[in-house]
Amino acid sequence: MLSVERRAFVKSTAIAAATAAAAGSARTWALPILEEPQSGSGLRWEKAPCRFCGTGCHVMVGTENGRVVAIQGDQKAEVNKGLLCVKGYHVGLALYGKDRLTTPMLRTNGVLKPITWDEAIDVISKRILGNPAGFSFYGSGQWTIPEGYAANKFVKAGMGNNQIDANPRLCMASAVTGFLSTFGVDEPPGVYDDIDKCDVAIMWGNNMAEMHPVLFSRLVDRRTRGEKVTIIDMTTRRTRTSDLADHVLLFKPHGDLAIANGIAHLLMKDNAFDHAFVEKHCNFRTLGPPKDEKSPPEMLGVPMTMDAYREAVKDYTPEVVEKLSGVSADHIRMLGALFARKDIKINSFWCMGMNQHTRGTAINCLVHGIHLLSGHFGKPGEAATSLTGQPSACGTAREVGTLCHLLPGGLAIANPQHRAHAEEHWNLAQGRISDKPGYHAVELFKRFNTPTDQGGDVTTIWVQVTNPGHTMPNLTRNFREKSKLADKFLIVSDVYPTATTELADLILPSAMWVEKNGMYGNSERRTHQWFKMVEPPGAARDDCWQTIAVSKRLAELDPTSQRDKDGVWIFKTTDVEGKEIPVWEWAHYYDRNVDERLFNEYRLFSTHKHKNLAPYAEYVKARGLRWPVVEQPDGSWRETRWRFSGFDDPFVEKGRDFQFYHSVSRDDKALIWFRPHEHPPEMPDAEFPFWLCTGRVLEHWHSGTMTRRIPPLHRAMPKAYVEMHRDDAQTMGVRSGDIITVRSRRGAVDLPAWIGGRGNPKQGEVFVPFFDEQVLINLVTLDAYDPYSKQPDYKKCAVQLTRKG
Amino acid sequence: MSSEPHISRRDLLRGRFGRGADAVSPDRTSSLASSARPLPVLHRPPGAVEEAAFLRECTRCDACVEACPVHAIVRAGTRFREAAGTPVIDASTQPCVMCKDAPCITVCIPRVLRAELPRRMGTARIQIESCLAHTRTTCTVCSERCPVEGAITVERGRPTIHAEHCTGCGVCLSVCPAPQNGVLLLPTLARSA
Ligand code: SF4
Repeated sequence: MLSVERRAFVKSTAIAAATAAAAGSARTWALPILEEPQSGSGLRWEKAPCRFCGTGCHVMVGTENGRVVAIQGDQKAEVNKGLLCVKGYHVGLALYGKDRLTTPMLRTNGVLKPITWDEAIDVISKRILGNPAGFSFYGSGQWTIPEGYAANKFVKAGMGNNQIDANPRLCMASAVTGFLSTFGVDEPPGVYDDIDKCDVAIMWGNNMAEMHPVLFSRLVDRRTRGEKVTIIDMTTRRTRTSDLADHVLLFKPHGDLAIANGIAHLLMKDNAFDHAFVEKHCNFRTLGPPKDEKSPPEMLGVPMTMDAYREAVKDYTPEVVEKLSGVSADHIRMLGALFARKDIKINSFWCMGMNQHTRGTAINCLVHGIHLLSGHFGKPGEAATSLTGQPSACGTAREVGTLCHLLPGGLAIANPQHRAHAEEHWNLAQGRISDKPGYHAVELFKRFNTPTDQGGDVTTIWVQVTNPGHTMPNLTRNFREKSKLADKFLIVSDVYPTATTELADLILPSAMWVEKNGMYGNSERRTHQWFKMVEPPGAARDDCWQTIAVSKRLAELDPTSQRDKDGVWIFKTTDVEGKEIPVWEWAHYYDRNVDERLFNEYRLFSTHKHKNLAPYAEYVKARGLRWPVVEQPDGSWRETRWRFSGFDDPFVEKGRDFQFYHSVSRDDKALIWFRPHEHPPEMPDAEFPFWLCTGRVLEHWHSGTMTRRIPPLHRAMPKAYVEMHRDDAQTMGVRSGDIITVRSRRGAVDLPAWIGGRGNPKQGEVFVPFFDEQVLINLVTLDAYDPYSKQPDYKKCAVQLTRKG
Repeated sequence: MSSEPHISRRDLLRGRFGRGADAVSPDRTSSLASSARPLPVLHRPPGAVEEAAFLRECTRCDACVEACPVHAIVRAGTRFREAAGTPVIDASTQPCVMCKDAPCITVCIPRVLRAELPRRMGTARIQIESCLAHTRTTCTVCSERCPVEGAITVERGRPTIHAEHCTGCGVCLSVCPAPQNGVLLLPTLARSA
């Protein structure tokens, strides 16, 4: 950056930083300590997973006099071996922002007024009973496993409908449909050990250095130990990951589909695919014709022959791919040659780049496909690994099934047998579990923001642990219309005021992280457990308790609600002597470990899809365990690292090298998909000539409600900005720090320009981080979504830029 | 903003954890001053004359304090004795952002801040044992926010400060998010007259 520009940018961000520094209270600083915790230091140390990202690092939490005062990377944790990222080191401060919500508040005549918990529970219960079909839960990949399980049971067993969805719809849904389409069952076959073992790491639109920083350290640290690991960064903009990559392949938005097909074409053309592996373990698949004009073809497709597949990918010659993707034909050949090699171990990684994609299912399938086709699969260092954004997107949303089409344990609403399993585990009358899926996130909020007499049949939403008022795409349409609709009612459980609580009718103060017991599940199928260490502030209470308390009130008010077929309340909890504990009363909620009670019930679901979980007590002892966790003859519990691989997965029949035991084609084979390249739904044109990509930054976690209240993180990254290419800036006469209006067909925001800063987009593209609540970039983004995963694309839409003043 | 230079809250906890103090210059100064009573080494605004002349000629008029657009300049507290009331920068609270037009210099009537003098307030150093990037965690904040071209470069993800370009403005110190600040900021010891 030129020095003049640098100064202007620093100046434009300095005042905000100064304000944050002034706001930070002296007593709220956790002091991360680098030495072993000393006994007798007066601190009590306990383990917990980090509150923030899907990496799932473990921290040691030091408490004193009822406060978290110190954080340390946990040396005993396999994931991070004592290392943390900048967010993790400061995670303790997330509890101590000055404006924690501490009392329930009801909006009366436009003004929020404190009410008691008892009143709040009454308001919710009456609202639900007034129109049960119009009620929906909207949860989160930051829900703990028991919280998600309770909400899921509340809706699917307790209400007999499926009106619950969660924000992993916005972040992981395409990875799920990719795994389901390919293996017939969700979640990655590989684990983080692959990071230590691979020779080549390919990032598919994945800025791992900022988004999964500890995993990136784990990868690049190998170089300092003298190991050779080649990093290939395929990306639409240069990032901090590119800085440490051996090859940076810049591609056009949506070009990833062409690249993957180009690799497949070369493997087929050169006969360089793994014949033995493909023959023994794979089938080819393509989409069938659409059912009718309105709906897309069936997700699970129809079989195709290898010849037909070869024919289908034939069009994707390196030259054609160069045209479609912008990556040179030589680089495509390099990738093809790499996958053709048998002497190296290749691991692909992706996150939001491939998931927040209107062709998300397709690109996920294609990347699995080239790994299967080339045989770079199922050995240490050879996997296609999707990384999750949230700490428990896997553990809670995907495994507990807090989505509108799922049941716990990977079971599906659409499957009658699965519904019967759930009815059995929950002791429900046959047919109690509805076969009608609820609304997925975007549809849910669309309906909530549509007048009730015009098809807006969702009238009440209860949001827990997430911030849709900040993170839904196209916010004006999908969140803010609600303020004009008097009969809609928004309930929000949260810890701080957010863009969502701004429009809430009822706000419930929640306990967070180590203020409650919890369990999370990270990106590598690892289930973590922690205990409550400090009290929540004021009247803040566990989300799980909130759900249970409302369930109890509903059961009291309506004999058909929240009960099993014998009329027993679905959350009935007893002590060791079998006497009921009134867990719906806050004073008795911790009389028994409700997490343990719920988890041990939930784990019964986990065996159907071979996602076996150990009893709660095993997780207390461990720094997380990776499922399937299976009991051994000696009574110990063994975790699994490589799924479907005979040498490690206990569910593969003896003597077989691989077995895809949930195979879509029911013959123990995985599917190699053909999916064509297609253009995105909105592309730059004369009026809106730039691509807009949105995403995260290292220092902030998602919508910034926690990290922006942590002074060191806020000072390090005080404000959102728009990154542009130097040449575009020059053409527009823009310098760093100048204010730019970024406008799409849906909305506009003003941001300072940052040129030559942390990331460098290509010409014709801009990038805006979404963490900053002062500048809601989701007023601008597009709400088009993948037809299968229903996940919206936050990475591509068309915008115009104008310089202000 | 308080007129007393800011003392790191981490110092409050220092005893308990036995870790080193923050690299905040006024703090170090106070301990130096207590024994031999030499001239205090203060982190002066840009373009400052040599310290004895500064103390003699500065009228404590506060014009620079008021001119600074980011409120980086504050009055030294009474514990700085003869320097009390003179302008200093406490970078850990708010650093100098190296304005091109340097309004603090323009408004200085006694000319203890001068446009013709080097704007070198001090020098920053990376403490590699505390710097996140040097201890295996991704971080590039200091180099991104440094207002001086070439003063901080990043090699294989790790920052290096080049003393010949560094002006000691303290932006890096103030934005460093490491749990133990990764920047040591030393005020210029001997300034030219
Ligand atoms: S934010 Fe993610 S990478 Fe950073 S410490 Fe927490 S879990 Fe680890």
